[in-house]
Amino acid sequence: MAILYEMAWRFLHALFYVQRALVAWFRVHIWRWKRAVVGLLLPLALGLHKPKKTGTISKRTSRRVRCGADGRTLEKLPLHLGLLITEEEIHFTDVANLVVWCMAVGISYVSVYDNQGVFRRNNSRLMEEILKQQQELLGMDSSKYSVEFMKNGTDKQEHQVLSCQSVVKVLSPDDGRLSIVQAAQQLCRDVEQKEKTLKDINVTVLDSLLRESKNIPDPDLVLKFGPVESTLGFLPWHIRLTEIISMPSHVDVSYDDLFGALKRYATCEQRLGK
Amino acid sequence: MSWIRERELSFLERLTANILKAGPMPKHVAFIMDGNRRFAQKAHVQRQEGHSQGFEKLAETLRWCLNLGIHEVTVYAFSIENFKRSKEEVDGLMELARQKFSRLLTEQENLEKHGVCIRVLGDLTLLPADLQQLIAKSVVATKAHNKCFLNVCFAYTSRYEIASAVKEMAWGVEQGLIKSSDVSEVLLSECLYSSNSPNPDLLIRTSGEVRLSDFLLWQTSYSCLVFQSVLWPEYSFWNLCEAVLQYQLSYQSLQKARDLHREGQALQQMEEDRSCVAELLQHRGNGKLVDSQSRQKELLNYIASREERVRCFLNALQHKRDTFFSDLSTSRQGNF
Repeated sequence: MAILYEMAWRFLHALFYVQRALVAWFRVHIWRWKRAVVGLLLPLALGLHKPKKTGTISKRTSRRVRCGADGRTLEKLPLHLGLLITEEEIHFTDVANLVVWCMAVGISYVSVYDNQGVFRRNNSRLMEEILKQQQELLGMDSSKYSVEFMKNGTDKQEHQVLSCQSVVKVLSPDDGRLSIVQAAQQLCRDVEQKEKTLKDINVTVLDSLLRESKNIPDPDLVLKFGPVESTLGFLPWHIRLTEIISMPSHVDVSYDDLFGALKRYATCEQRLGK
Repeated sequence: MSWIRERELSFLERLTANILKAGPMPKHVAFIMDGNRRFAQKAHVQRQEGHSQGFEKLAETLRWCLNLGIHEVTVYAFSIENFKRSKEEVDGLMELARQKFSRLLTEQENLEKHGVCIRVLGDLTLLPADLQQLIAKSVVATKAHNKCFLNVCFAYTSRYEIASAVKEMAWGVEQGLIKSSDVSEVLLSECLYSSNSPNPDLLIRTSGEVRLSDFLLWQTSYSCLVFQSVLWPEYSFWNLCEAVLQYQLSYQSLQKARDLHREGQALQQMEEDRSCVAELLQHRGNGKLVDSQSRQKELLNYIASREERVRCFLNALQHKRDTFFSDLSTSRQGNF
């Protein structure tokens, strides 16, 4: 009897794997097909006599304008958006695309996370990729649309407060539980050295320690990419009210995928306990 | 028994349960039972009725969990943030809790037969004194049971729980039981209200909301999160099976992530121990160089003494908590 149940279980799971693989295959291939068609038709629409360079620039400008306009059509936009990549193989270009689109839509803080610390270890590669995609997708020079990269421990660079400034932060599991433990150690040391009493320890004090000098708001929205249904250690303290929207994959993700998620976020209603 | 429905599964339900059980099953499931008020609106009944039905659904769900071999369940019954609701609604919920805990106390025999252990997690001092006492009595009465565990989060938020755990560690430091360098991820976990439970394998939130709302933020870092759109009072056995299936599909990735995290934790602890020993040797050394063999010996000694300190501290903490509940259950007026 047990063997029959096990066979039935294996069959059920095999069905799910097949279904997931098919959906992923369709998603990628239909999007690639769409992109190819648009790639063919757009130059025709712009007129064949226009030089290729102008065509690309106007495409970029129109895309940038479109992103900005799209952002304004939404009822609400997250102030801080987290990109949580659960897939093992990370495609930096796709992640960079996501970051750039977020900036173009008007999101002020974007964080990027994976639970193996890949982004943390390849911080500069990600930065380069983002700057490259910024140029590629939106054709902007860095002085107008500045991106601030924040790494843990490094000092914040002086930046002019421009209306188009975005902050990109790379996170790893160390920023989660470990940060809470470090804050706890600090408070315990203060008590040990009689600089604080037990009464001085509460949610507010702990919260301000975890925020330190970085005045980054808690993430309003986390986009989770990949089939793993978990936050995998992403900022446990900070995600108490964060909306978590799952996306199938970050590989070949499109602007429409991102915007769809943002539209969904815009319709969420938070009652905050009431 | 009022808290666990006495109803057997249908043939089809039993078949599905047996098939699911052929794969990895969650041992501990957490529920955010959301949607009572929306259900009440949909069914054109009072909000209080919605909450009442929500409790009935909890009893049914506990039965399904036991049938699926899930022996530990944690539920988010009332958040500290929920005190912001209208006085009428809050009073109604408190009254519902009074009824249910009182009823529980009359079912001692059944509770013992099923080995049900009830724990209540939260800042109980925020609750009316009589309810505090009822809760304490229920917790004390079922403390020794160990077949299945129900953790009810009442007057709870995760941030409050974490801050409270930090406070407990600070208390340990103040009492001279532990040093601030003994503070670690493992120790913090042991100081949470949920210290007697393993982390939830699966967290289910109903009613379509996709956030954690300050529930078990620390404990669910590597749990499978399933968000279902069904309203809590309409939850079905099939919804539960769907969530378990989702857990099974994510199982291997989650195991891998958890193992990676555990390795990182162990490394972190080793580094911390090494740096403490280095500091110790420096203080003691008077400039003398220490050979690696003595250094290794010192390290092992240090680890042993740290573990002993922590053990004593955790015993003292458990004793403090047990005393709190037993005092509360026998006091005439309760704590204010």
